Amino acid sequence: MAKKSKQASGGASSLRGVDLVEVERLLAFMQKHGLEEFDYETSTIRIRLKKASAPSSGPIHATSASEVSATAATAAVAAAAVRSSEAGAAADLHLIKSPIVGTFYSAPSPGADPFVARGRSVDAGQVLCIIEAMKLMNEIESDVAGEIVEIYVENGSPVEYGQPLFGIRSQVKK
Amino acid sequence: MFRKILVANRGEIALRVLSACKELDIRTVAVYSEADRHALHVRFADEAICIGPPRSSDSYLNIPQVISAAEVANVDGIHPGYGFLSENANFAEVCEASHITFIGPSPALIRMMGEKDRARAEMRAAGLPIIPGSDGVVPDEAAAKKAAAEIGLPLMIKAAEGGGGRGMRVVRTKRELIPAFLTARAEAEQAFGSPNVYMEKLIERPRHIEFQVLGDRHGNVIHLGERECSLQRRHQKVLEESPSMALDAATRDRIGCHVVQALRKLGYSNAGTVEFLRDDSGRLYFIEMNARVQVEHPVTEMVTQVDIVKAQIRVAAGQSLEDAVGSFQPRGHAIECRINAEDPDTFAPSPGRITAFRVPGGPGIRVDTAAYADAVIPPYYDSLIAKLVAHGRDRAEAVARMAGALDGFVVEGIKTTIPLHKRILAEPEFIAGKIDTHFLERLAPVEVK
Repeated sequence: MAKKSKQASGGASSLRGVDLVEVERLLAFMQKHGLEEFDYETSTIRIRLKKASAPSSGPIHATSASEVSATAATAAVAAAAVRSSEAGAAADLHLIKSPIVGTFYSAPSPGADPFVARGRSVDAGQVLCIIEAMKLMNEIESDVAGEIVEIYVENGSPVEYGQPLFGIRSQVKK
Repeated sequence: MFRKILVANRGEIALRVLSACKELDIRTVAVYSEADRHALHVRFADEAICIGPPRSSDSYLNIPQVISAAEVANVDGIHPGYGFLSENANFAEVCEASHITFIGPSPALIRMMGEKDRARAEMRAAGLPIIPGSDGVVPDEAAAKKAAAEIGLPLMIKAAEGGGGRGMRVVRTKRELIPAFLTARAEAEQAFGSPNVYMEKLIERPRHIEFQVLGDRHGNVIHLGERECSLQRRHQKVLEESPSMALDAATRDRIGCHVVQALRKLGYSNAGTVEFLRDDSGRLYFIEMNARVQVEHPVTEMVTQVDIVKAQIRVAAGQSLEDAVGSFQPRGHAIECRINAEDPDTFAPSPGRITAFRVPGGPGIRVDTAAYADAVIPPYYDSLIAKLVAHGRDRAEAVARMAGALDGFVVEGIKTTIPLHKRILAEPEFIAGKIDTHFLERLAPVEVK
């Protein structure tokens, strides 16, 4: 969910395995060399940084390009962590995305065991999590069979429509 | 005062509400469909939550999604804008049940004004004149003859269960009455599943005049003057202005007083617009009330200097009208042109990417828009992309400023109705203030070369 911070983030905060200090260094590198896009990939993570002035992200021409990219880049960092998982996932992972706005719960009730964990095999139709909306508990099922490779949200956090929840390496059952 | 408000809308009105909130130091939450990911209301709000795919019914009209977003963001108020859920009494009730203040009238009054027959009955009981008509459905030929004798000719036969021109017939002579009655019933049955029709006096060259009202939660109601919205195409307003050339001060005061009294009696609160049709002899007839803020509210804001949206938020927070609005003095004349993403001659929708966008400025010019260069106007929502408002010390100056502003408004990449507005502003009848709701039909069609 895009809760945006307007000031440049400092400090060594991390976001699900993404070291923001490192990302800021990358941003400075981009700025210094006048780069529009920067793609960084390892076996575990892929980060894609795109300047707001790059055409496809639809900037507002009224403001100066550097002003827009400063705030947009910071917002892009938060989004990048999510999109990095998407980008990396797109290669071979099937994404389960939230169909509703609500609060994500990994277990059927507080203190109970989570529905699934990383590495677990699931069937199509199997319940992966609950999203609570307006006091109703909605069970979210997997639409494919496969192995849970990624869980993108933490228990109790808010989710929006279309937000990636799980990355599944789908397997064709024999 | 509110701590955080969710804007349950998009486009220019969402921006309008966001700026009112900012001025009041209230945190803002935007909701958006996937088609609006790059929209300005998403960028300018403090928080933004995606609530669904592009279709309105799956996103902006999806009550569970909107309420869920409000809960997740922990807001204490929701402003519905106009259109979408703004006149959905059920939505207002769900907000209340979720302990979130709906910034608008009470669900009961929204419901009352939404049922057009009931609204007319209530306003008539409160002393407002309504268009002479049959009291409800005209069941058979005998009833039709009787109603026609009471109403007089010419009259309109209209379908009770629907609109849009279907099941509608004009009757000018006694001979036409029964055939028209029977055909209208047949058409209504076909279109809406019910043959029920009602009848009302036909006003030949009506002028559409509406009063802006504001009420607080302490029983006070005021009006902020009227707007004339006679320039319409297929019942969609194209251009609005204030004050109306057709109202003198005495009539304005009399009707305004009546409206305020009626709404006070009903316990109306927050913003609303009471709509009338004026006939050739100057009589005003109540037609309906819109229990929300309207598209054309900037016209009244320019003339009165009252910030209607901020007033809505303030009265919803419990402030009295005196604190929320204070005193005001209408000054000068204002005109608004609704600029749509449409072909100016055929009115075919023209969604797509805007490649150049330059808004006019200068004294007395206001532009409310969520469009910008490189923005993509999606095909899923209404075609309004900008409201251009011009104010002057009198109508002549407002017209001159609007004409100049239209010339300075550059939009490329999509078609817009700017050329249509330029034609309207140049029409002698418009300049003379000789307008009615058939004005646009009379505007000569553009020759296709």
